[in-house]
This record gives sequence, C-alpha cells and structure tokens, in this order.
Amino acid sequence: MPRILGVDLPNDKPTHISLRYIYGIGPALSLRLCDEARVDPLRRARELSDDDISRLATILDREYTVEGPLRRQVQQNIARLKDIGSYRGMRHRRNLPCRGQRSKTNARTRKGPRKTVAGKKGVKDK
Amino acid sequence: MGRSLKKGPHVDERLVGKVEKGRSKGNRDPIKTWARDCTIVPEFVGITFLVHNGKQFIRVYATEDMVGHKLGEFSPTRTFKGHAGSKGKGGPGK
Repeated sequence: MPRILGVDLPNDKPTHISLRYIYGIGPALSLRLCDEARVDPLRRARELSDDDISRLATILDREYTVEGPLRRQVQQNIARLKDIGSYRGMRHRRNLPCRGQRSKTNARTRKGPRKTVAGKKGVKDK
Repeated sequence: MGRSLKKGPHVDERLVGKVEKGRSKGNRDPIKTWARDCTIVPEFVGITFLVHNGKQFIRVYATEDMVGHKLGEFSPTRTFKGHAGSKGKGGPGK
C-alpha cells in the first residue's frame, strides 16, 4: 500500500478516489492533483510507482495545506472567532450551529444525541 | 453568505464621520451606535463602540482581528439563562 504524507494508506481503489483519504483532498482537488503529477486518475493506487508517489507528495507539500496543518488552521480560525467574542465564536463555544440554522428542533449534528428532559411538555401530554 | 465585491463592504457613513471626528479631536470617548450592520474597517481598530442590542449598549473595543466582522456580532441580542429546572451544568452561562 502506498504511503503519502506519513499516515495515509489509500488502498486498491482508483488513484483519484484513494487520494481523497487524505484530509483536505476532495473530488476536485484529487483530480487536479493527478493531472498536475501526470498520474492516470483511474489507475489503481497499488500500481503507483515510487516515482508517482514522490511526485504527488512534493506537489502536495509545496502547494496545498492538508492533514495536520490544515486541521490546525481550522482550529485556529475557530479559536479566533471565540477569542474576539463574536457571535459565531459563542455558538462554537456552546456547540450550537453557527450559521443561523434553527436550534429549537434539529441541529443534532452539533448538539449530539437527544437529552430527554423528564416532565417536559410534549405531544404525549396533550 | 458572500456579498458582491463590486459593492465593497457595507459601512455606515455617519459612523465613519463620527470616528474621524473623534480621531481628529483626539477624543477617545466610546461611540454610541445602532448600526449593527456596519462592517468593522481597519480605521475602526482601537476605537470603543457602544453597540445597541435592542435594549442596552454593549461596549465593543474594535481590535485588528475583528476587521471584516460586523459590529452587531459582538453585541448579543439574546439572553439565555438556561432551561427551567436545569441547575448547574448548562445553567446560566455567559
């Protein structure tokens, strides 16, 4: 299994799919990367030569922010919002949606599993 | 949601006037404003605003990091004191 940037082990899927296992690489970037490195996006990842891999790695290294640095960047952006005391920062702090979605219902992705409150009025009590 | 670049950032003209007036006079008094939708531009850095939240004026000191945000983002309009009966954790928070 080829290794790019240390930890990522894309498997025996087509190269452009495998590359997406790297944090920060999506469908579009994956294809662009194959193009830049002159790798056939449809060839299986296992068939990549060491040369191909090193070319991919250098391009990634040089031009894109992925994996650890990208994660850090995202965290820093959030920390900044919290730091300046903005509304969005506050919503982050409370783990609620930040982009104006409703939170009376739904928003389960941010709020996590439902916490049922005993004795709260609901459909059943009517 | 992005705003058209053609228009540039929305800045309240009267507020800019006030900022400049204060600056030329060396006046450091906070500026009271209702213009929550006004973008914080670099000229505002270091100025204290009192931004109305519908009830009171919240003191907002503009820093460099705040450039590009709106004044209203720093003046919360809602008070959430926790749900009835939920004490301690998740209770009245800042």
